[in-house]
Amino acid sequence: MRTRKYRGIERKQARWGFLFVLPAMLFFSLFNFYPILNAFYTSFFNRKVLSRAKPAFVGLDNYARLFDISRAANPLSFYNSLKATITFTLGTFIPLLILSLILAVFISNLSSNRAKKFLQISYYAPAVLSSVVAASIWMIIFDPRGLANQWLNVLMRTPGVDRKWLVDPMMEQMSTMIIYFWKYIGYFVILFITGLASIPPTLYEAATIDGANKSQTFWRITLPLLKPTVVLVSVMSMLQCLKTFSTQYMLYTNGAPRAPINVITFNIYITGIQEQYLSRASAMSVVLFIIMMLLTLLQFKTTKSENVDY
Amino acid sequence: MQIQRTNIPAKILIYLVLLIMLLFTLIPILFMVTSSMMTSRQILRMPFSWIPEGINWINFTKAIRGLDNNYVFLRNILNSLIVSSSVAITTVLLASLTGYGLAKFNFRGRNTVFMMIMGTMMIPFETIMIPLYMVVTMLHIQNTYVGLILPFLVSAFGIFQMRQYLTTFPTEFLDAARVDGMGEFGIYAKIVLPNCKPVIATLSILSFRGQWDNLLWPLLVSQSAKMKTIPQYISAFAEEKATDEGAMMAAALIASLPMFILFMSLTKYFIGGSSVYESRKG
Repeated sequence: MRTRKYRGIERKQARWGFLFVLPAMLFFSLFNFYPILNAFYTSFFNRKVLSRAKPAFVGLDNYARLFDISRAANPLSFYNSLKATITFTLGTFIPLLILSLILAVFISNLSSNRAKKFLQISYYAPAVLSSVVAASIWMIIFDPRGLANQWLNVLMRTPGVDRKWLVDPMMEQMSTMIIYFWKYIGYFVILFITGLASIPPTLYEAATIDGANKSQTFWRITLPLLKPTVVLVSVMSMLQCLKTFSTQYMLYTNGAPRAPINVITFNIYITGIQEQYLSRASAMSVVLFIIMMLLTLLQFKTTKSENVDY
Repeated sequence: MQIQRTNIPAKILIYLVLLIMLLFTLIPILFMVTSSMMTSRQILRMPFSWIPEGINWINFTKAIRGLDNNYVFLRNILNSLIVSSSVAITTVLLASLTGYGLAKFNFRGRNTVFMMIMGTMMIPFETIMIPLYMVVTMLHIQNTYVGLILPFLVSAFGIFQMRQYLTTFPTEFLDAARVDGMGEFGIYAKIVLPNCKPVIATLSILSFRGQWDNLLWPLLVSQSAKMKTIPQYISAFAEEKATDEGAMMAAALIASLPMFILFMSLTKYFIGGSSVYESRKG
């Protein structure tokens, strides 16, 4: 009798638990699972926004078009989008990773707590600005008469040279990388500082007693123990860079050439929304989704096996 | 106590690197502030002088008056405030409710539900925006707040954070309230929610910021000038007034003020260790 009543309470409770998670489940089904399935589905048709004709099934045609080697010469092709995205991602996340790690180690070794706090807040400040604001500031700095040219010419003793920051294809890619790097460096520095703080100080004390110098402690203790954070930060920054959009959009709408900064998300936006080729844009979305999913799985796998106990 | 042989050149190098980085991060912000008070000619003068010759107020009036003198910027600021705060509120409520359900109740399929929610972290917004755009057109909610808010009601990351936090919450409190005859929903609203304050603070800032900075989704949803958000306004303003750098910087400065005030007053929630993952959506 008693157990049955107890079970009754448990079952009633279970119902409440289910009720509590139900709204979120509905939300994710409607706004995450349905859309991603829909993206796969649409990518096999030839859907356009305003056409009245029923979309026809075209199989893998949209994908074939994306990876059609004969279109690679077209500067706005998906090939070049892939190339622009990879260039941007590698050119941004590698400097981000290395420099944020170095800066975090330097800051953590400062003795003054006020200096630590001041530097963290200052490095983080650009992250508080929105991406469009960041881009509009840098667009003026990169103006032919702007600060970037002026200061670089003073530093390199080359008076009057215009580096064509927003005109030359290579320089334009570099400019987007600088803007992105500027915005996110502080964020990653703080992630590393948090990671460094979780390493027990006793390890350093032991190392010092054993006569290890600073560089030895860094390579033998800090870096190996920081490996989970390094993996986390690198995959996270990589995923973020793959999704970059605002910076490229701002530069393009202000007259910079599109081809060098035509990253995948930007191409999806132009193809799907401005040119209204929904199916082609969906196929690009699916490719982006697969790339990012592989990276995320890689992250889960590596972080799981790399957990360290002290 | 660390005993270290002090290496003077190495120390100088460290300070130098930190200083260069400090200049790199702060100079553009300072540049925005001073040039918002300058005329375009002063901004692009060679060599650049950092002190404005008096405050050029016209930049700010131009920025606020907007493209067609219709003061749409003020409306756009209001839109951003409405969208960002709504998303922050719904995220906190739904994430805490779901996180509580997952942390403290045993029901069939609980782990499946949790894995599914975590799985949505692998679906970046950029890959589902085209289908979502089709849904929004189908429902005719373009140019509405509902359309702007709907895809961001709750985030998987928020649920994850809440669940982690609530797993350590003592179950005895909940049972005591049950014995006292409190309803399950009452327990959530009166006991669980008030005890999540630190997570709520971090999570609401994260969600607010995500929407404050969101350009992509409003570009798809809001076409009418009145329903645009701040990032859209800034980009349109920059496009239109490409040669009026002073006004551009004034608009940028105004758009950044709310976040800066929030940042200065709640620094620890921005820089706290709990913000390990940026909100994945938006």
